[in-house]
Amino acid sequence: MIVLLEAKKLRHTGYFPAFLGGTALAAAIPPIHMSVRSDTFTAQPGDPFRILTDANWQLMTMLNLFLVICCTCMMYYTEFADNGAQKMETLPVTESRLFCAKLLLFLSCIAVMLLLETIVLALCGKYWFADYEMRLSALLKTCGFSFAAALPTVILMLLFASVCKNMWVSLGIGVLFMFTCSMFPKDSLFFSLCPFNSPYLTFAELADAETQRRFLSACAAESVLFLAVKLLMIKLRRCFS
Amino acid sequence: MYMIETKNLTKKYGSFTAVNNINLHIQKGRIYGFLVPNGAGKSTTMKMLLGIAQPTAGSFHIGKKSYPGDRMEILKEIGSFIEAPAFYGSLSGEENLDILRSILGLPKQSVADVLELTGLAPYQKRAAKKYSLGMKQRLGLAGALLGMPPILILDEPTNGLDPAGIHEIRTLIRSLPQTYNCTILVSSHLLSEIELLADDIGILNRGRLLFEGTASQLKEKAHAAGFPTDSLEDTFLALIDADNKKRGGIKR
Repeated sequence: MIVLLEAKKLRHTGYFPAFLGGTALAAAIPPIHMSVRSDTFTAQPGDPFRILTDANWQLMTMLNLFLVICCTCMMYYTEFADNGAQKMETLPVTESRLFCAKLLLFLSCIAVMLLLETIVLALCGKYWFADYEMRLSALLKTCGFSFAAALPTVILMLLFASVCKNMWVSLGIGVLFMFTCSMFPKDSLFFSLCPFNSPYLTFAELADAETQRRFLSACAAESVLFLAVKLLMIKLRRCFS
Repeated sequence: MYMIETKNLTKKYGSFTAVNNINLHIQKGRIYGFLVPNGAGKSTTMKMLLGIAQPTAGSFHIGKKSYPGDRMEILKEIGSFIEAPAFYGSLSGEENLDILRSILGLPKQSVADVLELTGLAPYQKRAAKKYSLGMKQRLGLAGALLGMPPILILDEPTNGLDPAGIHEIRTLIRSLPQTYNCTILVSSHLLSEIELLADDIGILNRGRLLFEGTASQLKEKAHAAGFPTDSLEDTFLALIDADNKKRGGIKR
């Protein structure tokens, strides 16, 4: 119920159209890319889905990350702009519960976004590659992996947005992180684990099940750590306010 | 039995003491006027009663509930309006109140009731960011009155209202203890406002409670101390001035 309330708060703010617009923009990349350079990709050997993700995922992720940064900032801007957050503090609902509700709402939007983008990639494979066989389980695995890889970034960005009352500060921090992390080497698993860098990694890029398990465990640990930091900050803030 | 009672409530920020060992006694069904100069610890005290700020020392209880154990239960019983109107600008007045209603678990009718009570009903569909200052103030007050809680904490509720609005809100607040048997803690810089509203008065200066009691008790005390008693304003200013001279400097 509290998640629905959070969704209600975002009405008339442009949050949902922004999310849909951003998703549409990122999802438009593979068909546009294929329509202008299809010969380059269809001539390549290997799994068509892998070829498509290798060709498009970097740019799509960059747009996704930018969307995450903007939408988390919008989410908390509505709280701080007219002191809505202050009113919430005087109601019988904890700040941690509100944060978790926001996170759940945001994650459901992210899940829809990733699902749509994966479907578009698969449809491109079906349309341009004659030998591509669409398998639902493989698509869901890819989508689920991308979701898990995005989790630490989303939580960290939501944490920044919740801490900075001035939206431009959290926006600046997010953009700075996004561009700094994009310069990290892509072939190192250690650097791939950094928030803002982990979403660039695809399921197919991780060779074996053990590496995949390690990567997902690390993402889960990061997510728990950032959540714990947020909860600790809520406790400490009340002592100093 | 007091509805709100604080015991040596203290709040320190480093070496600065914002609220120093205050003992408030607010009786059930009465209006308690908080007379406080700027920066004397009024908002900090109110924030501590709402659990937004954690007391450095001391304790308080509200009804039979005590802080911090019953914080959530306490918040269910308090309607508050602190510092400035707080709302979601992109939502209409009605939508804003509906969010509060959902959290408080109140029936839908309660929103229409407070909109009517605060005179916002004709503007309920308008985005709150487009409200005038007076309307925003009314929206804040409507949020506090939602569901008619047994305790109201109102920080300068008539700020930004025109004289007719001030009279209207004052009459409304004045009528609440009789109509709904609620207890009200109200602050204002307007001494005449408190004089007209409050049954009991508390005067806070530089974090310390200088006086607590009825207006007539204040007059008696001021008379005994040789302070002017012609108006509450004169008495208040003399009391604050004497306290400032006694304590010297600005450090608390």
